[in-house]
Amino acid sequence: MRPLPSLIALGAAATCQMVYAADYLTVIEAQQLLFPSAVAIDHKVAISDEQKDQIKSLAGVRQRFDEQEVYKMEKDGNLVGWTIIDNVVGKHEFITYAVGIDATGKVTGIEVLSYRETHGAQIRMQPWRDMFVGKTLSDKFKLNKDIPNISGATLSCRNVTDGVKRLLALHQVVLQS
Amino acid sequence: MKIKVLGIAVALGLCNFTASADENLLGYVKGAETLPEGSAEVYQFFTKRSGKTVGHYEALDTKTEFEYGLTNAFNISFALKGMSLDTNGIIIDGYMPKDNDFGWKLSGLEAGFKYNFLSPALDDFGLSMYGSMDYSWVDNHSGQDKDTLSLEMMMLMQKYFLEGQLVWTGNLGFEATGAKRKAIAGLPEDFEWPTEAEMEIELIAGTGMSYRFAPNWFIGAEALYEEEHETEVNLERYSWFAGPSIHYGDAKWWATLTYMKQLKGGGEKFDEQTDNDLHLIEKTEAEWRLKFGYNF
Repeated sequence: MRPLPSLIALGAAATCQMVYAADYLTVIEAQQLLFPSAVAIDHKVAISDEQKDQIKSLAGVRQRFDEQEVYKMEKDGNLVGWTIIDNVVGKHEFITYAVGIDATGKVTGIEVLSYRETHGAQIRMQPWRDMFVGKTLSDKFKLNKDIPNISGATLSCRNVTDGVKRLLALHQVVLQS
Repeated sequence: MKIKVLGIAVALGLCNFTASADENLLGYVKGAETLPEGSAEVYQFFTKRSGKTVGHYEALDTKTEFEYGLTNAFNISFALKGMSLDTNGIIIDGYMPKDNDFGWKLSGLEAGFKYNFLSPALDDFGLSMYGSMDYSWVDNHSGQDKDTLSLEMMMLMQKYFLEGQLVWTGNLGFEATGAKRKAIAGLPEDFEWPTEAEMEIELIAGTGMSYRFAPNWFIGAEALYEEEHETEVNLERYSWFAGPSIHYGDAKWWATLTYMKQLKGGGEKFDEQTDNDLHLIEKTEAEWRLKFGYNF
């Protein structure tokens, strides 16, 4: 994929983020929090059925969508990581969140863009989100073991936890290949 | 790492938040989830029961319930029940002594609990025990005075599919009832209206599926089987009800509308009923149920 000039890329990112009723963060704000001072380059990927199977095999959960909103994050023309925007099932609506993955396949952080559930606002809190930092695809991602569960928001916690692992699998299958 | 996780969990647990864990996706079949500690929910149920194939029968039951999470796994609830009734042209020996027509009145009280053993999202399969003690002073079939004390115990099961977009719930339990009717003056000499204490036990099984087809909106279907045994006749009645439901859930409130039609019934029947494949003494041809829940 040919990199776009950074201004165009930022414009494209701003356009993409308009599709979400972002309650807390825009895509651009999430990118800046995950990779401060990096430039985001739109790198949306189409995922084949074969890649979906590989992702499910690695992560244990299915890749629901055929397309994934991905941004290549660069500093001084060098790849520093990826910001991936994802949606997972919440109790009532999709939860929209962003995951930062560095070039080696480690989570640099997660940011919640949109969360409209009755409870479980702790998902947006730094202590819970920090539990994902440094995780790789080889980690277990076991809710209530290495990721704490939030009572009353178990489904949301589980789906975000499974989602982060799935995005690490997507990174390995689609972005590193 | 475990200590860190525990520390974060404790820190998160100290936060106060509202909950909708016990959101009712279906009208009759209960889910296994509980409200988190310190959260509360108020429910309002309206159930319309109508049709016995002859005459006119229309009852509206109401239930106003408050539920509170004592712990993340243990909830308690308290409810006020009421009913209105309009029936004429249906006389059933032993059950429906006369026409009756009254507006809404308070008819009973209920106290209940729910204890969660397994969480459907955490353990892949949800399992809870539900229990309630119910006292009522109005016979909900005839509207006559009748003191009834019931104990209901039920296992609630729940399973998520498609990351929670599709939800299965199953219930299995029993209700033991002791009742005593008040005497009614002016009944025909040969009309049976026993006033001695009676005991009944009811077995209940239910199953349902609910699917989120759009943000906030669920469509569902459920089926309910009940059979009641008592000393004199053993199997007094059984019935199969099934029907669709639609549910809307938001961050603060939810609503569920369910229609249940009696598909098959048996046991005792009355001579005038025109459909002998249904049980229409204690049940009706159909029920509508509308439920609201509000979290705070």
